[in-house]
Amino acid sequence: MGTARIGAAAASALHLLCALGVAAAYFLAQRVCLLDLVAHTAQTLRLFLVIEAPITIGVYSWLRRDTHGCSVWKAIGRGLLALPIGAAINAFGAIVLGAPVGVKYWTVTAYWSLLMSLFTFVPAACAFGPSRMDWQRILSFSKLLDAVDYMISVPAYGAIIGAWIGAWPMPLAGKDLGRNGQSVSPMVQLLDI
Amino acid sequence: MAEGSFEKKPRPILRPIFFLLLGLHALAVFLFTRGFLLTRTELSSYSHCHDLPSPNPSPLLLLLLLLPLLVLHEIEIGIEIEILLLLLDAGRAPPSIASSSSFDFVAPSTFFEEKKPWMDKLRVLHKLASDEGSSARIFKAIADPPTTSLQRLKGLTTGGLPTFIDVGNSFGAPAIIEDNLIHQLVKNGKRVLMMGDDTWMQLFPEHFEESHPYPSFNVKDLDTVDNGILEHLLPSLYKDDWDVLIAHFLGVIEPMKNRIVQPISRHIFGVDSTPMIKKLEQYNSILETWWSSREHLSYCDGDHGQTLNGDHGGGTAEEVETSLFAWSMRSPPSSISSVLEENMCKLNLDGEKLCVGTMQQLDFAVTMAALLGVPFPFGSIGRVNPELYALSAGTWDRQRTDAENCKLQSDLEAWMQNYANVLCINCWQVKRYIDLYSATSIIGFSADDLHFVTDLYERALANCSSNTKASCLFGTGVPKEIQDYSVSVLQSQIDAYSHFLESVAKLARSAWTEFDLLLMGIGLGILLLSIIIHILAATWVHILFQSYLKEQGIPGLSYRYFLAFLLVAIRAASFLSNSYILAEGRVANFLLGTTGIMNLWRSVEKGDLKKDEFAFLLLNVIIRFGIGFGLSKQTGGSSYLVSDSLKFVGINEGHLRWLVLEIFPIVFLSLLFVFLLKCIAHVDMSRYMKYFTIMGTVLSYVLIATHWASESILIFISPAFQGIGRNLAPRLVYAIGFGILGLSVLSRILDMKERMTVSERLTNSTVPMLSAWSPTILILLGKQGPFVAFVCIAGAWCIISSSKKFLSGTKSGTLGGLAVDPISVTQWSLLAVCLFYLTGHWCTFDGLRYGAAFIGFDHFNIIRQGILLSIDTFGVSHILPILGLPFIVALQYHDSKKGELKDAILLNLSQVFLIYGLITAITTTFTVLCATIQRRHLMVWGLFAPKYVFDAIGLLVTDALICLAVLYYY
Repeated sequence: MGTARIGAAAASALHLLCALGVAAAYFLAQRVCLLDLVAHTAQTLRLFLVIEAPITIGVYSWLRRDTHGCSVWKAIGRGLLALPIGAAINAFGAIVLGAPVGVKYWTVTAYWSLLMSLFTFVPAACAFGPSRMDWQRILSFSKLLDAVDYMISVPAYGAIIGAWIGAWPMPLAGKDLGRNGQSVSPMVQLLDI
Repeated sequence: MAEGSFEKKPRPILRPIFFLLLGLHALAVFLFTRGFLLTRTELSSYSHCHDLPSPNPSPLLLLLLLLPLLVLHEIEIGIEIEILLLLLDAGRAPPSIASSSSFDFVAPSTFFEEKKPWMDKLRVLHKLASDEGSSARIFKAIADPPTTSLQRLKGLTTGGLPTFIDVGNSFGAPAIIEDNLIHQLVKNGKRVLMMGDDTWMQLFPEHFEESHPYPSFNVKDLDTVDNGILEHLLPSLYKDDWDVLIAHFLGVIEPMKNRIVQPISRHIFGVDSTPMIKKLEQYNSILETWWSSREHLSYCDGDHGQTLNGDHGGGTAEEVETSLFAWSMRSPPSSISSVLEENMCKLNLDGEKLCVGTMQQLDFAVTMAALLGVPFPFGSIGRVNPELYALSAGTWDRQRTDAENCKLQSDLEAWMQNYANVLCINCWQVKRYIDLYSATSIIGFSADDLHFVTDLYERALANCSSNTKASCLFGTGVPKEIQDYSVSVLQSQIDAYSHFLESVAKLARSAWTEFDLLLMGIGLGILLLSIIIHILAATWVHILFQSYLKEQGIPGLSYRYFLAFLLVAIRAASFLSNSYILAEGRVANFLLGTTGIMNLWRSVEKGDLKKDEFAFLLLNVIIRFGIGFGLSKQTGGSSYLVSDSLKFVGINEGHLRWLVLEIFPIVFLSLLFVFLLKCIAHVDMSRYMKYFTIMGTVLSYVLIATHWASESILIFISPAFQGIGRNLAPRLVYAIGFGILGLSVLSRILDMKERMTVSERLTNSTVPMLSAWSPTILILLGKQGPFVAFVCIAGAWCIISSSKKFLSGTKSGTLGGLAVDPISVTQWSLLAVCLFYLTGHWCTFDGLRYGAAFIGFDHFNIIRQGILLSIDTFGVSHILPILGLPFIVALQYHDSKKGELKDAILLNLSQVFLIYGLITAITTTFTVLCATIQRRHLMVWGLFAPKYVFDAIGLLVTDALICLAVLYYY
């Protein structure tokens, strides 16, 4: 089985590319589209998703573990399939931690979950596919093997820790400063990328 | 499995630890409470007409007492025929001017080292106060802490000191049950007209002849209340359908009722305080309008000030110094003016002399009562203020106030005689209150203090009769020396009375309003010491357990311990914020969800995913919504809670809704009943015990259903059945529960099942214990009970399952280095907190479900209803979780041979109890720390102190239950 092996420099460069995608999305939202994350949450998250998804899926599909048995297109397909599945799991976690539930919140929660899925599930799905051993290794964090493992697990952990901090109950901010609930705190996660 | 090398039985060693911790906690709570919680019993006695401080006003007097009273901060205007109280709430000023006390608004800037933008805006008051021969004065009014708005209003009208019992309801504004000025005014036929802040309506719901209340909670609205007042005030001034008019302005507003919203108003108003200055200018123009009419005498009084950061409620000089302005239309005689000259005098901006007096908040009620000729409020401990009393001297009809046989006196002597008489009644009234208070309240004054007060009182009265004679020596033919002698005698008499009254006030202040920091510090120190002992004890048990298993390793270094500590530390630290105390349920639920996700993560990592983890997360979502509805109940009552949840799932008003409300609890109750029967049936206990437990449980659940049916509105039930269902059924449930409890204890004492393993015996002891408590707790919780019980059982099951899985996976074939999974115990504790909020409780006194105390009883009995209320409050959050803790230990040994290792299991159980107790102790210590730090915070009596009371009692209940459990299970 052929595996993609890359050095630290290449890993950093690819990771920087992903981060630049986030930065570009942020710039576009703020300066070009004049979107504010608090006021236009759904639109801003959608913009992030549209810009970041191709970059992330493309990069991690190229870094797929089994280069011989799995084509790039297949890896992209796995990433696209993992996107909604990961979003569902993220949404469930967000609701457990206090995300608002209701018709008027579902679009925001859906976009947020898709974005979170992009940072947590999609890279691993693209790179590893259904390989249970690889997934467990990423989850345990302590048994990481190479640069790709770090590229997948560090942003994912950062996003999850950021989401957890962002989901922290804020009795004042949530109620009085016009924030639409707890699930909308992607900036913290984005900064963790 | 290694055989135990641990030969000593753990039982005799471990038990004293729990009792030691209980003792330490009890001592710490006792000392801290003695230093922190101020207690004063409110007496419901009222003064009567024959307690009048002065003769009824003559028609002339009535005319002369025509006084508009303007109180700055919360002004009240009083006029005997027309008393106008204008309340400007300076405590609600925007934070940009928050460095001011309300005294700044009234006094000229020359009285201060630095001039602020808001000073010298009420120029009309300066002009009135500085006029030659003026009958107007500015007073610095000193408030008694705590200086929350409600307490100021209570203090102003009752003449008493605010204490914890008073201020516990600071934001609930209950009606004043003590005797007060407004009550006396109404009782003596005065018509009181109120307009402005609606707090008055809550304090005096039935006192006003006419009222125009306006909501005062809107942060952003500066004008609604003020405009409403102005709409009614100016026309009312020209009408004669009122005797006392209260106009409570809010316009300079910073909403101090709720500290939470302060940051918002900071954002709104910025730092230039322009809205405030505009408002002051508006008030100045209003005052000028009145002045031009010159019909009234006015008083301006500040309610309370505030500190640099916008706080009030505390006792710093900034917060307690307020102002009062008084003006009489007739100047007092010049000889009496000497009394007023004792004031602090300075030049104002125009170079005119202006004097400022001092007045205590305590003195306001009695002084007003003396001026208006109504009895002093019964519970007042204030003194009639000489300066304010002297100001109205020009309005007296001396012919009516002198003794019959000495008609002619100098003005000064007449005033002094009059004042001494008023003080005499004042002293008598205060002495009467102190005597009755000491006789009736639980914590009265000490015998030494009472003796001291009585001695002072008797000395003050000793030469009263000689003074009366001396006062009659005045007249045109009396030599000046004798007149001087008489004045000095009267002065000594006044001094004696004043000394008595000041001593009583000082004594009351020390007893009711001052924190004893030393006691508080010692209490906190003992609590911290107990935590150290707690940790040492837990570590020691851990070492014992490891030595028993002959395993090596340093205890306490597992990451699970670290995570558990982190969770507890986060929760405890959140208590340092008032907002997080309010959101405690949400925080506990969030942390519980976090632990659930961590367990799920770990299962996925190990490739051993079970449905229990998902079920636990789902349960967490259910609890989260339940807590949300429970919080909404704070404003709407339990029916609101249910109807709100029904709206959420799409069920509207009507019969279907009520059908659901009636049917769902019965369905849940039936399911619970089946589940419990199944559990009991599987438990291997003695035949008689099992029979009685099953029969008792069956009967209890039938009786609970009967009780609910008797209260149903869907089905017609005969009155006789209703009577049985309403009162008899709950009492039978309590009796059956008590019976099962007694039997299970007896069964444990006799220890009839020696052939069982320890884990089996632990399970078999726990099931009847929970069976004994659960029906009583269920019926007290009402129709939400079965649902809550299901949540409780499901949550406990998931936690036990998770713990079992974790410990079985630590090391193959052994228990691993851990005696118990600390995360599971933390989850258990968090679940208990969530259940407290899920059942509609919260940590304030109005969060108690008083209705539960009367299930089965129509009449109040302090012990009986107290016990029921305690069971309802602590049942699902303390009693069931702690008595159910052995399940964590028992069920993990259930399927293995290790269940036979008695010492190991008991050590394990000890560690579970120690960790659970430690979690409660740490969170309570933070609450105590918070109460100590925030003791001068605005919300201290509304939030921090009730939270402290709940947590302190919760800690003691936890310790006591653990001790009982140790005795029962070991």
